[in-house]
Amino acid sequence: MKGSEKSRLIEQFASRFDSFVLPLLFIALVVVFSILSPAFRTTFNLVSTLRFTSFIAVGAIGMAFCIMNGDFDISVGSMLSLVAVIGSSMLPVIGGVPAVMFTLIFASFLGFVNGVFVTKLRIPAFITTLGMMFIFRSFAYIYTNNTPVYIQNKFWLFIGNGKVAGVPFAIILMLLCYVVAWLLLRKSPFGRYVIAVGTNRDAAVLSGINVDRTKIIVFTLVGLFIGIASVIISANLGSANPGMLGQGYEFQVITAVVLGGTVLGGGNGNLWGAFFASMVITYLKNGLGLTQVDSYWQFVAIGLVLIFAVAMSRVKFTVLGQKEV
Amino acid sequence: MVKFLKLYEKIGIFIFLVAGAIFLSFASPHFLQGDTLFNVVAQGTYGAIVGFGMTLAITSGGFDLSVGAVMALTSVFLSILIPFIGIPLAILVSLIVASFVGFINGLIITKLKVNPLITTLAMMTIIRGVALIVAGGRQIVIHQKVFMELGTGKTLGIPNPIYIMVILFVIFYFILYHTPFGRHISAVGSNESAARISGLNVDLIKIAVFVLVSFTAGVAGTIRTSQTLIGIPTMAPGFVLVAITVTILGGTSLAGGRGNLWGTLFAGIFISMIYYGLNIIGVQIFYQMLSVGIVLILALFIDGIRNRYLETLKAKGLKV
Repeated sequence: MKGSEKSRLIEQFASRFDSFVLPLLFIALVVVFSILSPAFRTTFNLVSTLRFTSFIAVGAIGMAFCIMNGDFDISVGSMLSLVAVIGSSMLPVIGGVPAVMFTLIFASFLGFVNGVFVTKLRIPAFITTLGMMFIFRSFAYIYTNNTPVYIQNKFWLFIGNGKVAGVPFAIILMLLCYVVAWLLLRKSPFGRYVIAVGTNRDAAVLSGINVDRTKIIVFTLVGLFIGIASVIISANLGSANPGMLGQGYEFQVITAVVLGGTVLGGGNGNLWGAFFASMVITYLKNGLGLTQVDSYWQFVAIGLVLIFAVAMSRVKFTVLGQKEV
Repeated sequence: MVKFLKLYEKIGIFIFLVAGAIFLSFASPHFLQGDTLFNVVAQGTYGAIVGFGMTLAITSGGFDLSVGAVMALTSVFLSILIPFIGIPLAILVSLIVASFVGFINGLIITKLKVNPLITTLAMMTIIRGVALIVAGGRQIVIHQKVFMELGTGKTLGIPNPIYIMVILFVIFYFILYHTPFGRHISAVGSNESAARISGLNVDLIKIAVFVLVSFTAGVAGTIRTSQTLIGIPTMAPGFVLVAITVTILGGTSLAGGRGNLWGTLFAGIFISMIYYGLNIIGVQIFYQMLSVGIVLILALFIDGIRNRYLETLKAKGLKV
């Protein structure tokens, strides 16, 4: 009996792995860096880093849907840059609110195009979006002639830098996005379709789910959240630079989602895990930067974190899988 | 129609190549001169060489996104090692380092069972970071002018990189089509579990494939470094797109199992012709990236239509 007791404990540990390991990891990270660096433990730094978290965490929502659906979108970094430069260049012409609306709609449209390509051409999303990644980036270069767009509009800047009752607006926006996404995923038929398609595509087709439409909507959602993230980050930086903006963003976002416990290949995922993972990533980068670690090590650190996360999720599956046998 | 599609898969890119060449010979009076032709082919060598490796990887059902970063790492190692141990030994060590990256890729993919896309995406960042750390974030100038011969010199009137490409082509052609190992690669790509059940050492085959991909990236990095005489840690940022485009354009099936090395060779030269053509028109460098992206999507588009057509035929019960 002792053996089965033990295996049950391991199984429980494995299934709850993401829900408690990430917050613990986050706390450990903050404690360690607070001891190492006086600059890290200031309220100013902690809050402004949380603002950068929102940039990754919002993009991670769309990617989480996409990965649960069994796909990938690696064009997000370039898409972010393209919609930021086009949207912000509209600001002097059409004003703040319409420009933000335009950015969101345009980003959703680009996501829609990705979705149509993936579903109608039946090419793995990874390759399609790899091509789109370069097309978007070169359009961003061509549109701006490789010069940054400076942003002076108050409304646009407010989204990234403004505060409501002392809390940065970007953080409120991020939490709002998460609540909406959580409702969409857990309380609507659409969320169940996404998971069904990701778990078993053929079964989803047989049970009457319109797979192509689900996928196209998911890619459109990716675009929408990228639009929000692009406004946040370009407002935060005060400019939209076609070359710098969103470099390596796809990588950070996928890392956040996978580290958050959503399994590659589709199926049920963990939205809040993606949120905590975004915090871990941004505070790790911030901490490494403030403790004067060479910035190149950050590449290495985040790459290792990603491989570690995926490998851990394999271990988790082996443990859970053995129980079923 | 099926026959046409089969034929297209084999020689489609060759038709593109000839059509492009005819167009360019009208558009530019200099195109048909020997030097220009050789230059176009020589510029196509990087894409083709890494394409050979990528063809093996895609045939085995994998991918490698880390090739650009491996090129950069090779470049950095060359520039640091050449002053100390001489050119031949430096090239040897750099190629071993490059292949070792592939070995790590293979280990992570087969032993930790991490998806190849994610592994090589993460390794792309890690290796780029390592290249920057080793080089201290700077570009390192190589003062040994002799090294330049490798990438820019000519033997019997033909640029040296073309010889390297042809030698590698022959080797990879032999490996893929005339050895048991090559057949095993195709077997793993078309049905991994069947390959495993029939007693193939799937893990070993995959690791070997990833070592070969990184090796080709190392060779391409060496050629490029010798042409500029600078070790560049940020070398070839979007190169993986070119390598994958070349492979798919050449007719290697994304589904795995069927590699087309002739196609890869011609597609490498074709991409280089597009660059040359764009240079004639005098467009900016951004458009080159755009054109490669569009060519990739176009190749996927044709691939998708072909698959759909074959699927409907299969549904009708025809043998394809």
